[in-house]
Amino acid sequence: MDIEKYKKIFTQESGKYLQELNTTLIRVEKDLLNRDLWSDIHGKIHSIKGMARALNLDTVSGLCHSMEAWCKGFQEGSIIPTTDAVQVLMDGAELLKDLVAATADGVPFEAALQLKRIGALLTQPPDKLSPLAQPDVHSIPAPSKIDRIRIEYALIEELLARSQEIILLEKTLPPLSQDQISSGLRSWIDHYISMLRALHFQLSRLMLMPVEDFISLFDKTVRDLARTYNREVTLEIVGGDLQVDIGLMDRLREPFLHLLRNAIAHGVELPDERERNGKSREGKIVFKAEKRKDSLVLTLSDDGRGIDQTAIERYLRDTIGMSDQEISSMPPEELLQTILRVDFSSADETTQLAGRGIGMDVVAKAIEYLNGSMTIHSEPSKGTEFSIRLPLSLSIVYAIVFELGPHTLSVPTSHVASIERIQAASTPGGTLYDLGGRLGIDSGTRNPTHILKLRRPPSTNGETAGEIPDRFTIDAVIGNMPLMVMPSGELLARARSFAGVGIMENGDISILLDMENL
Amino acid sequence: MDCFIFEAAGKYLGIKAQYVYRIVDDVNPARVPLLPSCHAGIIYDRGDLFDVIDVGRLLENDSAPPPDKTTYVILLKWNQRRLGLIPERIVGIKWIQDTADKKSRTVFTSEGRTIQMISPEEIWKMLLDLPYGH
Repeated sequence: MDIEKYKKIFTQESGKYLQELNTTLIRVEKDLLNRDLWSDIHGKIHSIKGMARALNLDTVSGLCHSMEAWCKGFQEGSIIPTTDAVQVLMDGAELLKDLVAATADGVPFEAALQLKRIGALLTQPPDKLSPLAQPDVHSIPAPSKIDRIRIEYALIEELLARSQEIILLEKTLPPLSQDQISSGLRSWIDHYISMLRALHFQLSRLMLMPVEDFISLFDKTVRDLARTYNREVTLEIVGGDLQVDIGLMDRLREPFLHLLRNAIAHGVELPDERERNGKSREGKIVFKAEKRKDSLVLTLSDDGRGIDQTAIERYLRDTIGMSDQEISSMPPEELLQTILRVDFSSADETTQLAGRGIGMDVVAKAIEYLNGSMTIHSEPSKGTEFSIRLPLSLSIVYAIVFELGPHTLSVPTSHVASIERIQAASTPGGTLYDLGGRLGIDSGTRNPTHILKLRRPPSTNGETAGEIPDRFTIDAVIGNMPLMVMPSGELLARARSFAGVGIMENGDISILLDMENL
Repeated sequence: MDCFIFEAAGKYLGIKAQYVYRIVDDVNPARVPLLPSCHAGIIYDRGDLFDVIDVGRLLENDSAPPPDKTTYVILLKWNQRRLGLIPERIVGIKWIQDTADKKSRTVFTSEGRTIQMISPEEIWKMLLDLPYGH
């Protein structure tokens, strides 16, 4: 993930944390000795600090660190909180908002003054603060601009269903012959219907969320689990900008909680143990999201100790009654699938299987319910990877839509390096790929006007393949636009050249090319 | 049984009306390369994608490309599949007495028409037997 993208995520995420922080500080002001609230406040500040450190935003992380020190004391009960101290933390939270917003342009003068004042206060014992802690009425900020609201997912579903119903009203239009209907009215009806379809398309997009938003739901869980089990863990996201159906992801909350819990509690080793084994003290959990043809592939991997396969073999021998020969002839992947069995979960996993198996049957059932499948790969002392493949019920992809002969085709925008008019295309070297010929398009129907140059997508191991000279001519560029991508179906799949069918905002269709097979 | 009758390849064809989802007109299927010539394209209707097949070309194995504009498309839904059929002409829905011989593929109407019954699954199997890609 590039740094600018991460900064954008940081701004969004910290904004959310700061908003919640303010709310919790207001609550704790009326319930000063509530350690749960202090723990929550501590967690939020800690999360902002972690993200700021990753981006080398020292001013933000330094302020968070000072605020965190107080909160830790309040949470543990070693320091008695006061309303003045809460006020300082509120001022600190407000200042953090300014600092986060100013990351690109440096610290503004007023923020720098505030930083000095609050920084000085935070070095004092919170129960003996000087009067400086009193809020300055002139600096009380106005509520920030309302640029987003929370709404129930069910309401979006309802709106979508309602818009679908309105579209269906078109079908109740009584059949009218040409002499009963004026061309003006026909045109008006067509326009009205096209507007309705666009509305439905926009509403459909409300059903989508970036994968990274889904993973951010687990930030605190990961932190809490790591603390509970004395692990040091980082959670990394790859492909977090992929937009997926909220309903689908919601059904994956529990399975991923199980997988994360297992990875932290039993996969990632204790820091000292990792160090002894030549690993970094901090374990890494990677969540990767990819779209492969008609499927969403979610992979959760850790660099921990891996699954203890001798425990699986023992189970198969003692409980299932398999012979050693039968067990040894099982393919490794099939052997690992044993942990998904219901009765396997009832085993004493902490001694038999390094913990793998807790609720794994629940995970398997949830994925089966979603018509998905899961594969497991594990290597001793290297880690474990769970790869979940799910049908993509709905996804939005930005794509370059173009014409080639009589066809309207598209490639994901992320795969396109450039588009040049043919007369201006003076890029040296490289031959043109005959896409039209590859797709069996009659050259007599073609009128090439542009050259589209492809950028191959990053490989699955995270490395970027870079630009390679895959260039082909196209007849006309329709535009760069969002497409609602639907599975291509059985017949199109037989051609092994298409990644899906894209529906444009106006309801028109574009065939999404499968770049890997071109 | 209710039977939906249409004309294609110079024959009267009948399909059980229960499979007919609806009839759409004035549609312009999006053409897809690398597919058999009887595949007229794809249409998006009420949230579903339909492969549109020119029945005449399918039955006569005509390799000429389908027309750009179609008048009517019969949309079929069965099991998890969706298919649109382009007929030469739509006759309509007729009640046809179930014959004792269930294997009989030919029925006769009171107007004296000879109708060949066909199921969506049979059409689908014919499509799967065609060459795709290169």
